Order: sequence, then structure tokens, then C-alpha cells
Amino acid sequence: MIAVVMITMASCKKDQYYLYNDIARIQFGPDIKLIYNANSALADTLKPFTFYYDAPEVTQDTVFFDIYAIGGVSKTDRPFTLEQEQLPNANNAVPGKHYIAFSDPKVSKLYVIKAGTVHTKVPVIVLRDPSLKTTTPVLKLNVVADASFQLGERKTLWRKIEITDRLSRPAAWTDSFSTYYYGAYSTVKHAFMISVTGQKWDQVFMSQLAIDLQDYYLSVVKTALINYNNAHPGDSLKDEKGQLVIFP
Amino acid sequence: MKHIHISLFLGLVVLFASCKKDKSNYDYKPNEQITVTGIETVYNVVSEKDKLVITPTITSNDTDAEFDYMWGIYETNVQGYAPVLDTIAKTKDLNYFIKQPAKAWVLVYRVTNKKTKYAKYTNVTINVGTEFTRGWYVLKDDGTKSDLDLFLSSSATALTEVKENVYSLINGVKLNGKARMINLFSSYKSDVTGIIANTKALFMVSDKDVSAVNVNTMKQIKNMNTLFFERPSTIAPNSAFCASSAYYLINAGQVYSIGTNTQNTGVFGGRKLKDALNSPYYISDYYYTATYGDPCLFDDLNSTFVTLANGSGTTLTNMTDVAGTAMPAVNNNKKALFMGFKSATYIPAPVYAYTTIGFGIFQDKTNSALKILTQMDLDKLKLKLTNDTLKTSDKIYNATMHTLLDADENMIYFVLNNQIWSRNLSNKFEQLQYSPPAGEVVSFIRHKKYAVVADAAFNYNYVMVGTQSGADYKVRMFTKSSGSLSATPALTLTGKGTVRDVMYMSPSVSEYSYSNTY
Repeated sequence: MIAVVMITMASCKKDQYYLYNDIARIQFGPDIKLIYNANSALADTLKPFTFYYDAPEVTQDTVFFDIYAIGGVSKTDRPFTLEQEQLPNANNAVPGKHYIAFSDPKVSKLYVIKAGTVHTKVPVIVLRDPSLKTTTPVLKLNVVADASFQLGERKTLWRKIEITDRLSRPAAWTDSFSTYYYGAYSTVKHAFMISVTGQKWDQVFMSQLAIDLQDYYLSVVKTALINYNNAHPGDSLKDEKGQLVIFP
Repeated sequence: MKHIHISLFLGLVVLFASCKKDKSNYDYKPNEQITVTGIETVYNVVSEKDKLVITPTITSNDTDAEFDYMWGIYETNVQGYAPVLDTIAKTKDLNYFIKQPAKAWVLVYRVTNKKTKYAKYTNVTINVGTEFTRGWYVLKDDGTKSDLDLFLSSSATALTEVKENVYSLINGVKLNGKARMINLFSSYKSDVTGIIANTKALFMVSDKDVSAVNVNTMKQIKNMNTLFFERPSTIAPNSAFCASSAYYLINAGQVYSIGTNTQNTGVFGGRKLKDALNSPYYISDYYYTATYGDPCLFDDLNSTFVTLANGSGTTLTNMTDVAGTAMPAVNNNKKALFMGFKSATYIPAPVYAYTTIGFGIFQDKTNSALKILTQMDLDKLKLKLTNDTLKTSDKIYNATMHTLLDADENMIYFVLNNQIWSRNLSNKFEQLQYSPPAGEVVSFIRHKKYAVVADAAFNYNYVMVGTQSGADYKVRMFTKSSGSLSATPALTLTGKGTVRDVMYMSPSVSEYSYSNTY
């Protein structure tokens, strides 16, 4: 009987969730407007970035992520630490060439949770290296434990940026967007849409695109593609892989 | 010994648990009943003019009851935000000046017994109108400009006041072009209240412009310059109407729509394609829809029945043939002289959809002397066509205007030589129904009926005949018996101009109130 009681008691062990009154921990998260939306828990893990739309004199730009401290606020500023993870079999971004290293004094001072707050934007300065005209390196950054913070939940400790100077698939061009609206992504299709509509079709434009406008633009580009193909008999528009460009 | 102590301890724990206080209800009095009388089920009031005065009588079988009162009001037909119950009084009786925008609201009366906290709720419909929200609207023109006359009424047969040219009176200008039709979009999205919300909009269509008008204020919301994301290069409106899942605007024979199942801002999207080759098409003026299905459209250029399936997509869909159809739905070499809605039948589970019957008159493109009266049985995209070849001796053969009796007798009315005739669609019997007085020229004919229970005093079932004599018009509204017109009209509207369409409007009228057909 004692054994039964002991087992019963043992089953009452506290679960291993991180609580808001836990020790200070740090983790990435979605935009602050989305933190109570469970479907957005893993939003913004990957942010493609391109210099394609920028004027030639632009040499650097900033990609922002959201980071959150748990375990309560502090009366003092609390720096946090980022480091790059080298991905196997990938074109990893090179610090000083494709981005400013996290330890560089120019940016390291920016990686701070201010006193009395639990959230900040993490700026990652990306650099316009000539190699980006032909390549798309990836930067995976992890938050690491330090004197200020222990690590938060495992799946929220990293973020990725794909950096290029070519036309690239915006994050808003999701698989769902491909399936239900504009079909598979290709840079030829992307460039055609930009040319026909006069819009950038970048992350900012696409993420703010209302459904009725999205429908409108679909009819515009679909009509333009048909007219293009009719005007080029036997030479319909094909993408960079030689596949016919199609809007479903 | 230790085991005995432990067992005793655990036993005591269980016994303590059984000492829980009994909170069961042993009150065997009958259930409390609060009765509220003296409140109607529907009130029709005018915003910024009427007071809502209600003096209810409250009784309860609890002789000691003391009551708290609360009157609240919330709006209906809301999309995009949650309606809020606004408390307007905490007194037994209500004496409230109506300030709400014109639409249907729900008034909530809560009576609470302060001692028992038992509450009785009574909900009633409040139809809030303005000077523009109830009456007969007549769309007319002078040949080049269009306007609206509004005939205020106290019942389906009694007029109280006429407001001439209300559209230009409010908007400063008449609608450019010769009038074609009016239609109500009761959930049209606009920001007239400051946020995008459902707005009762009357669409006035002329051959040169379309005006979406706020029924509450008669102010124009948008016109052909602003109704589209991209203004069509050719402005030649044909029609504007509602169907399931979309609002439609046909311009220069091309289809534009607003999907109503998804978020929208009341702006029409891109021109719909006919097919994957962007082949040319031209949609006829004549169409029909039962509002709760996709519209039945006819492409005059390709002699093909088409629709926009489910009200969405970039491309029109051809109707398909049903076994036994008299002619193909696609490329049938016909031109539509008329097409209209006749009736609809609900098909229950597992279909949960309507089939519709329409009739049309079609002319062969090769042999122009060949005209057929066609029954169209439409089941979603499947179309069965049943043809009745018209004889040149048939009165309807040379008819110039037509209207089907909407879900009533199996008859079609038409105009021949300025007279109103009928044809029985079952036995082909044709009969003269009405001859306008000399000097009057028929400009409009339409059967319409209105049968909203909450608006019983204004229900009607009329065959409307509009005529022009010089600069004046008359709209005679006839009741009918066994399909034949009464000798004299039940109601006659008179004014200046040429009548093209008539619609009765009230706070209870929605886009589902009338079948939608040209």
C-alpha cells in the first residue's frame, strides 16, 4: 500500500515547462502582434532577403527578428549573445562579407533586452557583396546561454536569413499561396508579375496584400500571360528551369 | 502495526472527504415565471425622427419579486467586427429617441428579479429607417440623364408623399446616361461609417455609368470611376446584380465580380476570362439568378451558356449538357432575345442546393426567322434545354419586352404593338391583358412580388407596367388572378421622364427579397 501511495505521489511531479517566474531565459518569437496566436508560434523562422529592389548605392540593409526574455523583467539592461551556426552542405554566409558579425562592436551593443522590458527587435546587418548577384548564402543564427540568460524553448533558439541580390521568393509566397493562388514560384514568373503590375511583389507588398486585391492581380497577370503566349506562338513563357510558367 | 496505522490514516482521509457540505437544492417551489406583455415583435422607426415608446406589463408568480430592468440594442447583418449590446435604458418603460443608422436592429429587454436573480429576456426587431429607406423607387431617364423618384407609402397600395429626383437632389447631379436597371446589394462593403462594413447600396445602372448609392442617405458611394481596381477602358454598363458568393457587374459584355465569401472592400476585380486562350466573349443583357446560386449568363458572341462557378476564380465556366437536352449549352448558334428567372426548388440533404428554372427566347444566328422559347432547367452547371419553336403567328414571336411571373402561374407576359399580352407556358395560350390609353408608350414591364412576413402591410404581388406620354410616366401596378391582370391597377405612380425599373424598398428588403433577373 505504501508503494501505491508513493507511486501516486510520484506521479504528481511538476511538468518541465518554463514559467514566467522561472530564471531569466531568452528565445526568439513571432512579431509581438502575433504572440497570442498559436498558429504563428513558428512564424519568421526563415526570412529571405534580397537587395534586388534597392538602388545600386545601397550597400547594406537590416533584417529584424523578434526576441523575448522570459522569467520576468530586470531593473538593468541585459545583453544577449548570438552566434552563427555553420550548416552542413550549405553556402553559409561569411561574417564581414555577407553580414556584420554579431561580436562586432558596431552591432553587439544592439543585442540587449532593455531594463523593464522583455522584448526587443534583433537587427542583423546584411552586406551587399558582389557574390550575391549569383549566390544565395544562408545565415543561421542561434541565441546562446550567457551570464544574462539561459536558453528558452529548444525550437525557438534559432533564425535563418537567405541573403541574395537576385529576385528571390518572398516568405509571404508560401506553399499555400502557390497552391491556391499563383502557382509554383520561379524567378521568371516573379519578374513577369513585377513587370505586368508595376508592383514589387516583395515581402512588404505581399504580406499586406488584401484578398480582393490578390484576386485582382491574379486576373491581371493571368490575362497578361495568355496575351504574351498568344503573341509568341510556340514560344510560351518558360521559367529558369525550362518549365512553362502557369497561373492556376 | 505500522501498516495498520497507515491504513487507518488513509481511511480517515477518505472519511473526511465524505464530510463535504451538502449544497443541493431542496427548494420544491415551482419554477419562477416572469411574464412580459405589451411589446410588439417588430417596430418600424425612422432615425433622428422617431421615439421608441414601449410600456410593458410585468408579472411574476413570485409575489415578493422586485425587478431590475435593462434595455439594450445591437445591430444585425454585421461582418468584420462583433456587434455590441448598447444599454439604452434601465427603466421599466422605454422612451428612446432613435439615433441608430438605418438597418435592422435587435432590442433586448431584460427583467431581473433582484431577489432570485432570475431574468427574463425579450428580443424584438427594430427596423430603423430614414426618409429614404421605405418606398417605391422608380428609375427613370430623360433620354440622356437618369434619376430616381421615391414614392413614400403607408401600405402596399397607399402613397403618402412623392420625392422627385431624390438622387440628383442629394448628389447634385443626375446619373449620366440612359437608365437600365436598379438592384439592391444589401451587404455591400463600404467605409461610409468610417470602417469597412456592410452597407445597403442601391446600384443604379445606366448605359454610361453605375452609381452605388447608400440607401440610408441616398449619397453616392462609388461610380464607374471608383468601383474597380482598374477602371475598364470602355464604359458601357449592362447590369449589376447579386448571386451566391459574389456581386456582379457586367460592363461592355465583360464580367467583373466581388467575391462575397472572402474579405473585400466593395471594389470589383479584374475582367473574367472566357478560357485559357482569353477568347473574346460578350455577355447578353439578359441573365437570371435566384441569388442563392451562380448566375445563368449567356455569351451572345459564342452562343454559350456560362457562369462564374462558386462566384470565384478568374475564368468563366461553360454550362454542361444534360441527357435529353434539346440543344447544346455551348456554341448553339443562338442569340438571346430574352432570358429570365421562373422558379427555384430546394434540394435537401445531401445536396443542400437549389435547382432553378428559367425561360428564354433565342434567335438562330443563321436563320433569323427561327425563334425558340426555351425552358432552362439548371442544376449547378448542368443545363437541360427544352425548346418550343415559335410560329410567326404567335404573338410572342414579335414581342419587344418580356417578364416571367416569378414563381407564380406558369406564364410569361410580353409587349406587342404597345399592348400587354400573356402566354401560358404550358398550353401556349396567348391573351391580351392590357392596352394602355392612347398616347402612352410602354417603356417597362416587370412582375415583382414582396413577401417578407415582418413587413406584411407592405407585401405585394404586382405586374408593373410603365408607360411614357410626352414628358410624363405612369407605372400601373396590377394584381392578378389565375395569371390574368385585374381590370384596374392597385397602385399607380406618376412622374416625369421614362421609366426603366421599379423597386420597393424597406428596412426588411435585402438582396434576397427579389429574384435577380433582367
